[in-house]
Amino acid sequence: MNNVIAVLPEIVVTVVAMVVLLVDTMLPRRAERGWLALLAVAGLVVALVSGPFVTAPGTAFNGFVQIDSFTTYSRAVFIVLAIFSVLVAPGYLARLDIPAGEYYAIILFSTVGAMTIALSNDLITLFLGIELMSIPVYVLAGMQRHDRYSNEAALKYFLLGAFSSSLLLYGFAWLYGVTGTTEFGPIAATVARTGLSDGPTLIALALITAGLGFKAAVVPFHQWTPDAYDGAPTPAAAFMSVAPKAAAFAAILRLMVGGLGPLGADWSIAFAVLAAVTMTLGNVVALVQTNVKRMLAYSSIAHTGYILAAVAAYRAGDSASAAVLFYVIAYGLMNLGAFACLLYLDIDGTRGATLDELNGFARQQPLGALAFAIFLISLTGIPPTVGFVAKVFVIQPVLDAGLTWLAVIIALNAVVAAFYYLRVVVHLYMHEAGADSAPIVSERMLTVSLGLSAVAVVVLGVLPDGLYSWALQAAAPLVR
Amino acid sequence: MSFDNILTILIVIPLLGLVPLALFWRNERAVKQVAVVTTAVELAVSLVMLARFKVGEAGFQMVESAAWLPSFGIRYELGVDGISVLLVVMTTLLTFISVLYSSGGAIKERVNEFMVAFLVLEVGMVGVFLALDLFLFYIFFELFLIPMYLIIGIWGGQRRVYATLKFVLFTLAGSLLMLVGIIAVYVASGEPGDRTLSLPLLIERRASFGLEFQIWVFLAFALAFGIKMPMVPVHTWLPDAHVEAPTAGSIILAGVLLKAGGYGFLRFALPLFPFGTQFWLPALIFLSVVAIVYGAIVSAVQKDLKKLVAYSSVAHMGFVTLGIFVLDLQGGVGATLQMINHGIVTGGLFLFVGIQYEKTHRRLIADLGGLANSWPLYTVFFGVFTLASLGLPGLNGFVGEFLVLLGAFSFDPPTGPGGLFWGPVAALGVILAAVYMLWMFQRVMFGTLREAYRGLPDLSPLEVICATPLLVLTVVMGVFPQPFIAIIEPSVARVIALATGAPVAGR
Repeated sequence: MNNVIAVLPEIVVTVVAMVVLLVDTMLPRRAERGWLALLAVAGLVVALVSGPFVTAPGTAFNGFVQIDSFTTYSRAVFIVLAIFSVLVAPGYLARLDIPAGEYYAIILFSTVGAMTIALSNDLITLFLGIELMSIPVYVLAGMQRHDRYSNEAALKYFLLGAFSSSLLLYGFAWLYGVTGTTEFGPIAATVARTGLSDGPTLIALALITAGLGFKAAVVPFHQWTPDAYDGAPTPAAAFMSVAPKAAAFAAILRLMVGGLGPLGADWSIAFAVLAAVTMTLGNVVALVQTNVKRMLAYSSIAHTGYILAAVAAYRAGDSASAAVLFYVIAYGLMNLGAFACLLYLDIDGTRGATLDELNGFARQQPLGALAFAIFLISLTGIPPTVGFVAKVFVIQPVLDAGLTWLAVIIALNAVVAAFYYLRVVVHLYMHEAGADSAPIVSERMLTVSLGLSAVAVVVLGVLPDGLYSWALQAAAPLVR
Repeated sequence: MSFDNILTILIVIPLLGLVPLALFWRNERAVKQVAVVTTAVELAVSLVMLARFKVGEAGFQMVESAAWLPSFGIRYELGVDGISVLLVVMTTLLTFISVLYSSGGAIKERVNEFMVAFLVLEVGMVGVFLALDLFLFYIFFELFLIPMYLIIGIWGGQRRVYATLKFVLFTLAGSLLMLVGIIAVYVASGEPGDRTLSLPLLIERRASFGLEFQIWVFLAFALAFGIKMPMVPVHTWLPDAHVEAPTAGSIILAGVLLKAGGYGFLRFALPLFPFGTQFWLPALIFLSVVAIVYGAIVSAVQKDLKKLVAYSSVAHMGFVTLGIFVLDLQGGVGATLQMINHGIVTGGLFLFVGIQYEKTHRRLIADLGGLANSWPLYTVFFGVFTLASLGLPGLNGFVGEFLVLLGAFSFDPPTGPGGLFWGPVAALGVILAAVYMLWMFQRVMFGTLREAYRGLPDLSPLEVICATPLLVLTVVMGVFPQPFIAIIEPSVARVIALATGAPVAGR
């Protein structure tokens, strides 16, 4: 199989990223850069379309790369998330004088990393992908160079991210020591034979769980999340809250369900407990936040918990992995949307908006408020939105795997989440604008892209079948 | 028109109404007219459905079924039977009246948004009574949450935000646990690939639901429906929500939303989990009777007129659950009838409390008095609804409660107190109802009229138009209950047979 063709979408995105950077440097300093966003989106669309048509299933690069339905699905997820992240940003970047070309290029590079995770068939490719995905995001967090909080966010994110990467790498080393190979297929075969009988396998498992847990913001490895999201420029926070998480779960599926699947009986209980703790802590802390951006940061931890619950239910088979894949895109659309709604208010900094600043929002930006409300309702998990079906798809394998207690915890957590999500709706619609209300920018491109994703959230909530059956297909090749 | 898909048409009409509504967004008058016309068409189509309903059949009619989420085994399945058909018509009628009344000036702010919320609400309410697939049912069950949340929260009274959050959180707490129960039913319904949530199929397969499974899943369902009804002790959201809701919101909340709970018991919980039903039955009977007596006593001491009617709903819903859980044909028919009667009568009461408030801007009973002196027409309407609410023979409230009491007296459980204990206690509730309703009526309507209220106009033509259908139904259903019972009875008999394990007629 032709190696270049196999990774063509990745190549396309990389080239577009470099073109964006080049064009950016050639433009005069004060030139309008909004159209760079459209250039980036065009490149992403080309990559999205080219993926399923050009690349054929199979392995490439001597078994380092695996192209299958999982790869195709995940590529599409990452590209769609990148497209929305780019589309919501231009106004904010121009307003705060953040270098736009670099911003888009960084998102594209990070997306290439995420896509590399999706096609990994080997620990080395996987690590390469994880790093290529993470490092640009550290830069993204600090893009607002003159802002103290942005700097803090970048530094914190970088230090903890580097730490977690080293944990992960150390875990990979142990795993290589135990199995004598870095390829997922042989790893699965070896651990299936040996089981968890020896200490080194356990150490490898623990280190890998911790490393991936950091990336996905699983409690107790979540401490970086609120400060990083809170301090990062708001469009960057929107991207950070969804894409690295989606990538981390792609890595978890590839490595835990794929390579280490034979040990599932051992790690699934640990994952179930981590899931329960993660969603509960995320929700409870989100409950007391008055800054919406920080609240969304904590709530994103809670959503990690829901997704992790589906991973823990791996015994239910493909429906568990499909639930992860479906939830990741559902969460991506709604959380990115919710973060991006803060862009209407975030006039001069990284700090988002307090609840009181949202008062009267619905009167000044009726469409933006409607989109915001739809995202929040979807995040709560109320039909007819994609957030609801995603929860259903998660609860089904959890029950199938016999984890009834975890299903009940998910339901109770959703009630807690309803309180703080719907409280935002209260401020949007039920309070009149007061002295605290923030000035609101009106930005057509933002409204259009938010409208698009709000429509997607509702349409996928009513007609989820196509996406779900695709997710089922994508989940099929995971187990080895 | 052929009306082959009349049930789908019923679900789609309010959504279609949103299109012209959006087109005329800048013209508030036109928006009101669109909303009124849409709900009127919906009412008309539901009457066509009623006319096409074959009385005497127990099973589902006008069934529509299509694959909706094939990779998950979920179907878009609709149908009506004797239990749901009248509830659907009641829903469309009450929605029409609410929208008509609200278009007359009761809603002054953000009228367009109000009408949008109401039309979406109607989709959910009609859908709940039509859905035969549990998944679909759940979606409709939740669909009215957000519009109601907005209706109370935006157009409500002083403490509207507190009331609406409480309403939503209570409801969600129950329904999310029910969601887990629903998915548990789905998982138990068969091997992967062969699973379903379609009610007829589930009834065929219910033998595979183990005893312990039934106990827990029934509890999850009962929690959701019990909170919605609401049953004591999870009723505390109701008075707050009612007091703060705008008049139209109260009418729909009491008239329709509470019925979703009782209906859910009859439609899903009883037929699917006969053992679970038997297991929890003593507790549920006890809570029903507590609701009847407690609701009545608490109503009697209320100072706020709207709160009084709200607490009386708790008592009336106690009759519904009592009728359902004595698992007796008369009780079940009475419970179904009581749901419809309560929708009409309490809908009427809330309408008139609202009309009164619009004129006097007072809701405390102590601030009112002597209104009969200047409002003869109002007195007649309000008086009839008050009498119907307390169960006066000849009006509709009596029929349902009487049948429920008949069922309660013949209740004969293997252990614990039987009908001869519960029957008289429940009957006490009827007497108490007479006390608090008449006392309320006396304090509000009779006595000396306050100077401030002198000269306030009696009912306007619009208000008379809104109230007349309810008044007519109150009298007709009281004097000629038989046609209504004939519609309800076969289907209730089927549900009772399913719940008690007796042979089943019909599908």
